[in-house]
Amino acid sequence: MASRRRMLLKVIILGDSGVGKTSLMNQYVNRKFSNQYKATIGADFLTKEVQFEDRLFTLQIWDTAGQERFQSLGVAFYRGADCCVLVYDVNVMKSFDNLNNWREEFLIQASPSDPENFPFVVLGNKIDVDGGNSRVVSEKKAKAWCTSKGNIPYFETSAKEGFNVEAAFQCIAKNALKNEPEEEIYLPDTIDVAGGGRQQRSSGCEC
Amino acid sequence: MHETELQDLSDDADYAASQQQGSRSISGSDSGKRSMSSEPDGAEVVYLKDNVTIHPTQYASERISGRLRLIKQGSSLFMTWIPYKAHSSGNDSESDRNLYTIKAVPFTDIRSIRRHTPAFGWQYMIVVLSSGLAFPPLYFYNGGVREFLATIKQHVFLVRSADDANAFLVNDIQDPLQRTLFSLELSRAVSVSNVPSASVSVSPAPSIENSQRTDGDSYDWSSSISQYNGRHRQKVQDPARDLSIQVLEKFSLVTKFAWETTSILFRESHNNDFGADERKNFIQSLPDNIRDTEHNNTEKVPEEIPVASDPLEFDKLTLVWGKPRQPPLGSDEWATFLDSEGRIMDSKALRNRIFYGGVEYRLRKEVWKLLLGYHAYDSTLAERDYLCSIKKTEYESIKRQWQSIPPEQAKRFTKFRERKGLVEKDVVRTDRSVSFYDGDDNPNVRLLRDILLTYSFYNFDLGYCQGMSDLLSPILFVMEDESESFWCFVALMERLGPNFNRDQNGMHSQLFALSKIVELLDSPLHNYFEQNDCLNYFFCFRWVLIQFKRQRKKRGWGTPENGGTIEEEERGEDKLGEFEYEKTMRLWEVLWTHYLSEHLHLYMCVAILKRYRKKIMGDQMDFDTLLKFINELSGHIDLDATLRDAEALCICAGENGEACIPAGTPPSLPVETGLSYSQQDDI
Ligand SMILES: Nc1nc2c(ncn2[C@@H]2O[C@H](COP(=O)(O)OP(=O)(O)OP(=O)(O)O)[C@@H](O)[C@H]2O)c(=O)[nH]1
Ligand SMILES: [Mg+2]
Repeated sequence: MASRRRMLLKVIILGDSGVGKTSLMNQYVNRKFSNQYKATIGADFLTKEVQFEDRLFTLQIWDTAGQERFQSLGVAFYRGADCCVLVYDVNVMKSFDNLNNWREEFLIQASPSDPENFPFVVLGNKIDVDGGNSRVVSEKKAKAWCTSKGNIPYFETSAKEGFNVEAAFQCIAKNALKNEPEEEIYLPDTIDVAGGGRQQRSSGCEC
Repeated sequence: MHETELQDLSDDADYAASQQQGSRSISGSDSGKRSMSSEPDGAEVVYLKDNVTIHPTQYASERISGRLRLIKQGSSLFMTWIPYKAHSSGNDSESDRNLYTIKAVPFTDIRSIRRHTPAFGWQYMIVVLSSGLAFPPLYFYNGGVREFLATIKQHVFLVRSADDANAFLVNDIQDPLQRTLFSLELSRAVSVSNVPSASVSVSPAPSIENSQRTDGDSYDWSSSISQYNGRHRQKVQDPARDLSIQVLEKFSLVTKFAWETTSILFRESHNNDFGADERKNFIQSLPDNIRDTEHNNTEKVPEEIPVASDPLEFDKLTLVWGKPRQPPLGSDEWATFLDSEGRIMDSKALRNRIFYGGVEYRLRKEVWKLLLGYHAYDSTLAERDYLCSIKKTEYESIKRQWQSIPPEQAKRFTKFRERKGLVEKDVVRTDRSVSFYDGDDNPNVRLLRDILLTYSFYNFDLGYCQGMSDLLSPILFVMEDESESFWCFVALMERLGPNFNRDQNGMHSQLFALSKIVELLDSPLHNYFEQNDCLNYFFCFRWVLIQFKRQRKKRGWGTPENGGTIEEEERGEDKLGEFEYEKTMRLWEVLWTHYLSEHLHLYMCVAILKRYRKKIMGDQMDFDTLLKFINELSGHIDLDATLRDAEALCICAGENGEACIPAGTPPSLPVETGLSYSQQDDI
C-alpha cells in the first residue's frame, strides 16, 4: 500500500454543484474553458505532470459530482487523497456555507491518518461574473473561515478567464506533496529528470 | 403463438423443390428410415428427416427449418442439416440460415449427442463436437430422434452415457489426455453455472437404468467432473451436473468457424488433415466481422500477462444467440400493427420488432408514448388524443404551482429557490452541442427547465436530481411538445426514478445485481474485480444512471494538446454529438421494450466489460485506471454489436441471470399501488 503511488499525488475537488469544479480542472490541465461541460455524474479524473524542486510528479485530479445525493459514492474516490480542494462560487452564499459540510464529509469518508493537518485548499471561483457586482461572499469573510480551519490557503479564481488557476494548483500540488510521507517520496526512482517531461506513472506494480 | 408461425410448407417452392429432389433419391421421404440410395459422388444417404428445426433464439417463433441427413461415404459417416430457403421472414434470415447450416460433419468430430424427448412438446437433440462446441438444438417436429440414433449406431460406435440415459457418446474416448481436456471443458461450464451442488454423496452410484448400456468402459462424464472439482456429486438427480451439461451445450457454441472447418474437411480432404495453410486461407475467407474479432483478440492485447479465459467464449456465443439487428421499424410496417381504430393488436410482437431494430425517427413521437406506458397499447387513437388533451390541462395546472410563486414568497422558500437554481444550472449544460439545444437563449432549453421544475413539484419528494436533464432531453427532442414530453418523462421516471433516490439505493441495488451477473457469466473477471477492489462497480455508475447517455468522447480530456483549435474541436464534437444522440435514442427504445428483460441495461454493461476483459485484466487495471478507461470508452462503443452481445448474454444467463437481480431492482415497473417515494425530507 505504501509504495502504491510513490510519484502520484491524488487531489480531490469538492464543492456544490455548478461552482465550477469541472471548469477549473479543465482550465488547469488543458488551458481551456468551454460552456459545454456537462454536469458531472459519477467521477472522473485528469492527470498532469508537475515539476517540483527538480522532481516530476503526476498530479491526479479527481472531479466529482456536486449534488448531495451522490455523496455516498465519495468513499470510493476519496481514499488515498493527498490534498482536498474545496470550491465555492463567490456569487452564491449557499455554496460558501456548505464548505464546512464538504470538509467534514471528506474527513469522515477519506479518514486520513492525521485529520488535523490534512491539507485543504479553498478556491472562491467565478470572480469574473458581472465584473464582480453580483458577488455575495467577500474575500475577507472567506479568508476568515480559512484561518479558523487551520490556515487553509485561499485563492480567488476564474475558470472562465483562467485567472489565478495556475497559481492555485501550484499551491495544491505543493500541499499534496507535503502530505506524502517522506519515505514514499524519496524512494529511489528512475525518473529521468534531466531528460525532462518523460511521463512516469508509477502505480505500484513492478515496471 | 407458434401455430400462426407454423409454415405451410406445401406451397413453398423451395420446399417443394427439395421434396422433389429428395424423392428422386429416396422413396417415402418422410419416413426417415434407413432408405438406401445413391448420391452422385458415391455417398449414400442413410437417413433423412424433413422439418428438423433450430430456434436461433429462445422463442419458438424464431426458427429455421431444414432437412437433416446422415450420409455414408466409404467407412465414414457424416451429418448434414440444410435449411430450407426462407419464404417470408425478415432480411436477416438469409445470413442466419447460412450461419447455421451444417454442411457435413464427420462423426469422428462428434463427441456426443444428447436427446431430449419430453412427453409434451417437441423432441430435440444437441450435438456436441469434440472441440467442445455444440450445434444449437435441432428440433424434430415430426419425431424421429430415436431412428436417428438407431441409424448412427449401425455405422459408428455409439455408447450410452453411464449416468445420463439420454446422452450418447460417439467414439468413446480412450486417450487419458483427451479425457482430461474434455472434463476440463465440462467443469469450466460448471463453474460458469455457479450453482452449488445440491446433494453430495460420497461414492457415486452409477445409474443402471438401461439395458442398452453396451459396455463397461463407457466414458463417465460426471465422475470426471467430480474428480476435477474434488467433490462427488450424486449422479442421477444432481441438478448441478445436469446443468453442467446444459451449460456446456448452451455455452460451447458453434461458430461459423466450426461450420466452415467441417465443410472444408469434407470438400478437400477426407483424411481429417487440416493443414496450417488451409486454416490460414480459411480465416481469410471469413466474413469481415468475424475475422476482425478473431484478429483483434489475438493482436490487440500483448500476451505478457496470462488472462483467465472467458468461460462463455463470447464471440461464439453472440454469433449463435444474438440475432442480427434489423432496420428500424418504418411507417408501413407500423401500420400493420394497428387495428382500424389504432389499437396495437399484438404488443409483444411490436416490442419484439422494436427490440431488434428500433423505430424510425418520425415514428418515435407516437411509438415512444406506448413503449413508455404513457399510452396503453389497447387504447384507440381517439382515446389517446383525448388523453393528451386532458393531460395538457393537468400539466398546466401543476406548472402553475411554481409559476405562481411571487418573488417575495420565493425568498422564504429556500427549497424552491435551490431546486430552481440547480435545474437552471443543469439545463444549460445539457446537450448543448445538439443543434436543437444550442445557441444563446434557446427556447428548448427553457422548456427543459420548465418541465423539470414542474416535475419536481409533481413528485416533490423525489425532486430534481442531476442526470434527469439528460434523460429528458431526447424526449423533448422527439416529442417537440411540452406537456407530452412531461408525461413521457413521468412515465420514464416510473421506471428510473429509483436511480435518483436520495439514499441511492436504486443505484446500489443495480450495481449489486450487475456484480452478481458478472459473477455468473464471467467468474474470472469477477474474481479479478474482487482482488482489485472493484466490486462496487462504481465505474459503471454513469452507464446505469443515465442509461448510457453521453457516450461521446470528450475531446481534449486527459490527452495532450493536439494542436487543433478549440473551434475545430467543437465543430467536431457537434457532429459526433448528433450521431451519438441518435444512438442513445435507438438504445433507449430498445431498452424500453422490456422485451427480453427489463434489466437489459445490466447485460449491456456486462457485454461491454466482457468485450474489454482481456485488456482490463491483461493491463492489470486498478480501480482508478478502470474508471478512467470506462469513462473514455465513450464514443467507442458499437451499439448494434453490444446489443447483440447483451441479448446473447441475457438469453444464456436465463433464469440464473434473473435470480441475480433482486426483486424490485430498477427499472422494474412499480406495482400498482400509487406508491410514491417516501424519503426523508433532508433538503
Ligand atoms: N462566468 C463564469 N462561469 C463559470 C466559471 N466556472 C464555471 N462556470 C460556469 O458554471 C457552470 C458550472 O460549471 P462546472 O464546471 O460544470 O461546475 P461543477 O462544479 O463541475 O458542477 P457539477 O459537475 O454539477 O458538480 C457552467 O455553466 C460553467 O460554464 C467561471 O469562472 N466564470
Ligand atoms: Mg462537474
